[in-house]
Amino acid sequence: MSTDAALKALAEPHRRAILRLVRDDARSVTELAEHFDITQQAVSLHLKVLREAGLVAVRRDGTRRLYVIDPDGMESVQEFLAELWPAGLDRLKRAVESEWPARERAAHNPRRDATASGLSKPTSAPAPDVPARQEQS
Amino acid sequence: MTAEPYQTSVDIAAPPEAVYPYFTRPDAIVAWMGDYAVLDAKPGGIFSVDINGVPVRGRYLELDPPHRLRISWGHAGSDLLPPGASVVEITLTAIPYGTRVSIEHRSLPPEEAAKHAIGWPHFLSRLTAAAIGRNPGPDTFAESRTG
Repeated sequence: MSTDAALKALAEPHRRAILRLVRDDARSVTELAEHFDITQQAVSLHLKVLREAGLVAVRRDGTRRLYVIDPDGMESVQEFLAELWPAGLDRLKRAVESEWPARERAAHNPRRDATASGLSKPTSAPAPDVPARQEQS
Repeated sequence: MTAEPYQTSVDIAAPPEAVYPYFTRPDAIVAWMGDYAVLDAKPGGIFSVDINGVPVRGRYLELDPPHRLRISWGHAGSDLLPPGASVVEITLTAIPYGTRVSIEHRSLPPEEAAKHAIGWPHFLSRLTAAAIGRNPGPDTFAESRTG
């Protein structure tokens, strides 16, 4: 599957809503159309785009065609995890550090502000060159 | 053929007790991972996070606040990495200026993984390659999420 195709497919709100609906349960076009104001034909067209992008798969149940999410197509698993952990930990660092000073830092370690204003450096202050991550080149 | 565990870490300027809830509270975890989370942070409790449309499903296996967590990890509906196929171990180590967060993501022991961990060694080796600097490809999903 192409990442471009997946991104284009995800850009449309009805298609994102369809993905949410087929995430946990396989559903037919008819069932899906009940959730929207658009025609069943329009839902079919959205499903075609999602299928071509590798985001949903079709499963046969007798004569019915059921649509299910295709998590192996969403992104290949390895690309998903390769992006998830390094980028995720960067976001975690930003999230914690943006929350921590505002809420807790003053109470936890009031002397840190002294460092910021150029006064004597407390032993508990951050090292001058805080390494952002250990193993990244 | 077994794959090496995937490891990465980050240093954060806040103490472990400030970092730990970001792995156990739904409102905190979605600040950095995923769009929607259902978490029950106790041994055997549900770990369910939707990330970029990928339904990540697992359970808390061990919790030792605020130092360590082990969480089983898989993707609902996935043949490559079904729920229960892998384990994420998170270690929070106090350092002089805050916390070192270490992540180790690895397959289950062979006897457990053999049941369903098809494809795990393949993608784990690619993941390790990506971590040491080889480009895993354009990161357009990350751009689309933050935009």
